[in-house]
Amino acid sequence: MVEAECLECEAKMKINDDVVVGEIISCPDCGADYEIASLNNGTVTIKVAESVKEDWGE
Amino acid sequence: MNGQIECLVCKIGGSIIEGVNPSIIQDLKVLRAQGTKIVLVHGGGDQVTEYAEKLGKKQKFVTSPEGIKSRYTDKETAEIFTMVMSGLLAKKIVRILLSNGINSISLSGLDGGLLSAERKQRLVIIDERGRKVAIEGGYTGKITNVNVGLLSSLFELSLLPVVSPIAVEAGNWNLLNIDGDRACSHIAGALKADVSLYLTDTEGLILNDQVVRRMSTDEAKGALASIGPGMDKKVIASIEAVEMGAGKSVIASGMKENPIQNALAGIGTVISN
Repeated sequence: MVEAECLECEAKMKINDDVVVGEIISCPDCGADYEIASLNNGTVTIKVAESVKEDWGE
Repeated sequence: MNGQIECLVCKIGGSIIEGVNPSIIQDLKVLRAQGTKIVLVHGGGDQVTEYAEKLGKKQKFVTSPEGIKSRYTDKETAEIFTMVMSGLLAKKIVRILLSNGINSISLSGLDGGLLSAERKQRLVIIDERGRKVAIEGGYTGKITNVNVGLLSSLFELSLLPVVSPIAVEAGNWNLLNIDGDRACSHIAGALKADVSLYLTDTEGLILNDQVVRRMSTDEAKGALASIGPGMDKKVIASIEAVEMGAGKSVIASGMKENPIQNALAGIGTVISN
């Protein structure tokens, strides 16, 4: 299991080994959402997840 | 029938002969004789799926974290969507209206720039492992503008516009799949319609085994969490319509005799301020 640091509160976020690019993870401390931006040999890069408003097509 | 209705925007399914009582034609004729301006917005997601699969294009559906299931619209699906909605379903509706003496015209949101939308860049879905994942947004959008002048011109020509749920992406001119209920709400809001009407296959919003007769928009927002998929979209659209300027929204059965007349008489769920 790898870790990433929350960009808001610096808490450590544990990330499952089977995480995929695009997956959304949440900081267990402050609740901030992050998107997995890249995965490279066990190194994970995160970015702040966009707030997506609910909307639908037909 | 209520003679005070100046403008009505009504969402129906993908057909005016299936899923809606044929007496809707009589209702439309009576309202038009009274001078009511009417816009019909149609849906037809099931028909899009049917034709897409006939064409060998398997449709993919995704589920949002809030539990809303929706079509994933890639470029090819957007083309099939346009073909079926605007090329087939809308024309069938116009044909029936015309054959009953109601002069009408079908438009997608692209035509005359009727509906502009902002394309969704990203969608957050729940993947097969039950985890939240952000994916490319595909060709769906959120309506940002309604060309009211175009609709007004059509009303002056005594034409009844039949609108397909397709919008044009502002600036990039892509065709976008939009939700018909929300197309209805945006058009009703922009026209300051007296009523934004959503005809469906139930008597209205049912909570605790009873049809809710009246709700304020605040009450409707508060009830959203306990409303099932499908109906929740109609309630959200109903709230939006009122907040954007429609007099009231009504969710009512399209299966009953004289479905519009009944809905305007308050038989269904009425949502207003």
